Amino acid sequence: MPEVKTLSEGIFEITKGKKYLSTKNLDPGMTVYGEKLLSIEGSEYRTWEPRRSKLGAMVLKKFKIPLRQDSKVLYLGAASGTTVSHVSDIVSGGAVYAVEFSPRSMRDLISLVARRRNLHPILADAGKPNIYAHLVEPVDVVFQDVAQPNQAEIAARNAARYLKSDGYLLLAIKARSIDTAANPKQVFRDEIKKLEQAFEPKFEILTARDLNPYHEDHLGVLAKLKE
Amino acid sequence: MRLESWFGTLDLGEDGKVLASDQFSKNVRELALRSLSLREAGKGVPPAGFDLRSAALACGFVRSSEEYDSLLHEVTLDAAKLQISGALTPDQRIILAVEALDDVNETANVLSERLSEWYGGYFPESGLSGETLGRFVAKYGSRKNVAPEDPLYARATDSMGAELEAFDEELLKGFATSVCSLYDRRKQIEAYIESSMENIAPNLSLLAGPMLGARLISIAGSLEKLAAFPSSTVQVIGANKALFKHLRSRAPSPKHGIIFSHPLINTSPWWQRGKIARAVAAKLSLAARMDLYSGKKVPSLAEKLDAKVQQIRLQNPEAPRKKPDRGLKPKGKKKRRQ
Ligand SMILES: C[S@@+](CC[C@H](N)C(=O)[O-])C[C@H]1O[C@@H](n2cnc3c(N)ncnc32)[C@H](O)[C@@H]1O
Repeated sequence: MPEVKTLSEGIFEITKGKKYLSTKNLDPGMTVYGEKLLSIEGSEYRTWEPRRSKLGAMVLKKFKIPLRQDSKVLYLGAASGTTVSHVSDIVSGGAVYAVEFSPRSMRDLISLVARRRNLHPILADAGKPNIYAHLVEPVDVVFQDVAQPNQAEIAARNAARYLKSDGYLLLAIKARSIDTAANPKQVFRDEIKKLEQAFEPKFEILTARDLNPYHEDHLGVLAKLKE
Repeated sequence: MRLESWFGTLDLGEDGKVLASDQFSKNVRELALRSLSLREAGKGVPPAGFDLRSAALACGFVRSSEEYDSLLHEVTLDAAKLQISGALTPDQRIILAVEALDDVNETANVLSERLSEWYGGYFPESGLSGETLGRFVAKYGSRKNVAPEDPLYARATDSMGAELEAFDEELLKGFATSVCSLYDRRKQIEAYIESSMENIAPNLSLLAGPMLGARLISIAGSLEKLAAFPSSTVQVIGANKALFKHLRSRAPSPKHGIIFSHPLINTSPWWQRGKIARAVAAKLSLAARMDLYSGKKVPSLAEKLDAKVQQIRLQNPEAPRKKPDRGLKPKGKKKRRQ
């Protein structure tokens, strides 16, 4: 008998032969990126590949994941929607504002978005959050995975406009996108310091862990606004 | 205070409450087009933290939160689709063609090497390769069919190659025809790139040649990005490997990227190349900007570049005595005499 254990709201660990991280499929019968579908007691789950998703890796690295069934999420760097699809499963009664600036990636994202009514795609540069101010409401979570040198600043600008005062920032930092030559540990320390001090609003870091072995030279960060 | 939202224009009171609203009709396409026009408007931007959903409910634009999400979903989806269909600008089309050209070239090379290997068993003395071999095999098949007036006639009759029987000949001729059609495709794509470049980047085309110009746009990602690069970057575009090496270790910074294939640079003696590359890069950078902003061809650009290069040549006629350090060896390790 397969066993379903809840790791966090809407996030499950399914044991069926081996252990699978998974979310309940909001779009039954459809897969998004070649993941497996598991049917258990009338519910369909999609397996979630932590090596393909930094958020998935954060779950396995025991981050507290602040997503609820009705959360509003601003997702920066949606790419073709691998992770977005799982966030959409988790916040089945909420909304995800999926920002991506590459038209090529947006093309792929659109075919996912078209099938899920809680996804709102935005083709825009996350570094200029005013561009989507007429569309985006205050959110419970800002998730960011943009792999850009100025990612701390992008996070602050978006949090300033859109993050509720009791909301959370989830951030994936890629060392190589900041400085290809420097030591990743040093890059991470500098980025954390930027989040804590460099911009308005300032963040209080709740958790910061590297995402090994799922993603090399990546740091996951959970933060909230400093009072 | 008056602000713009995706569903209408709102007047807010001191306390942030919606006093009045001018709501748009619930037509998805209209809402999507308005949403796109609001992106750049810069005025009426809602204050940070403004709750659009509550406002939409309060002023009766939608009746429920579900309806809000449903409609917003359709509007953002439609807007994104409109943006995507407009995103395939002429320079993006050129980039797709450049990428296709690279694939065609690679495939043509692999297949013509295969043909050379294969046909070599039947006519090893042909001395042909690439496109000429493809045309030859497609035309004659077996070397027995080579016409007496063909310069290869003598070699064909004396060849030590095996006899090509009808069954195998069909196969080889068909294969050679495929190779030829790849070379035809290459010419077609090159012609497309040349004429498109003449249209969208006449100055870059003039100074760099259409193919090099198209490659610069392709690596930069767009004409706009290329125009925004400082000329020192234009000079090293395409030198990624050397550039990373420079950043990681202490290898010297690369002097030139793909602009090295420019005839003014690669026909110059080594001691002039760095200076000429800098001059070429500066003018290409200028040309890209002119193409982006005016689009008009300025023939005098080419003369100015030639004059500048001529001047560099005159000022540096002799090779300096010491060859510049090629920098392949890391510093600190001196070469020991044997
Ligand atoms: C590492 S990928 C994200 C992968 C995605 N989070 C997932 O797990 O499925 C980074 C994405 O961020 C996008 N991006 C980078 N800078 C951006 C910016 N300033 N605004 C919006 N998107 C950006 C890139 O185009 C790319 O698709």
